[in-house]
Amino acid sequence: MDRAARLQRKLKTAAFLLIVGLAAEGISFHWAHPTSFMLFIIIGGVLVFAGIALYLIAIVTA
Amino acid sequence: MATYAVTTLIGLSIVLIGLLLLRPSITAEHGGKIVAFLAFFILPIVATVMGSSIHLENSTSTQFCLSCHVMEAHGRSLYIDDPTYVPAAHFQNNRIPKDHACFTCHTDYTMFGDVNAKLRGLRHLYVYYIKGAPTKLALYEPFKNRECLHCHANGRSYEETTPHKEMKDQLTNNDMSCLTCHSKIHDVANIDKTKKWKGPGA
Repeated sequence: MDRAARLQRKLKTAAFLLIVGLAAEGISFHWAHPTSFMLFIIIGGVLVFAGIALYLIAIVTA
Repeated sequence: MATYAVTTLIGLSIVLIGLLLLRPSITAEHGGKIVAFLAFFILPIVATVMGSSIHLENSTSTQFCLSCHVMEAHGRSLYIDDPTYVPAAHFQNNRIPKDHACFTCHTDYTMFGDVNAKLRGLRHLYVYYIKGAPTKLALYEPFKNRECLHCHANGRSYEETTPHKEMKDQLTNNDMSCLTCHSKIHDVANIDKTKKWKGPGA
């Protein structure tokens, strides 16, 4: 697999993680409950962090 | 307002990421790289930081605390129609903000306390969803006077009345609890037997 294809694959994965993470964060604002807080931190926060990290790795190693 | 701002940021970020997924050739241009950096890095970070702040603020609300059904009786105790009940009298007379009633007097609880309190907050989730809540709820540590004194200290009705002025040092140092005398608090064990206030204008 060439470098461009590898970069694309990493960016697609980062995009997927970010979209799911951001969507989870957005949904969590719709009700005030400890579960929504945990949805924001554990699902949203972790996926967004992973997506950003993968994006940075992808552009640095490209 | 802040929630709308964060939701808009999240929406914008998702739209831009989607656009870049559908048209990856955009990133070949200099402007496209900047858009990608915004969508993949700047906007998600800003949304997450602002979102954390909103959630922290939400978690100090009365609605948040009472959203767990195990706290329902404590919520009802704020409506006991008897001025000798300290939390009810404070709640009904606006001595504490109604929408932040629990947090005003329990400022060291779970997320807002020390490391141990934060860990207990996580444990509450396990207890709530898996183990099951105990039938009798209790504070982990004795109620601290600072929860009363952060409003009452330096107030005339506290400073100049007996026995407060004679015991000021003991109360300030937590050597004697405010609850020693002001002992009628939530009383959830007898919650069904007490008369309730129906709210303003009732």
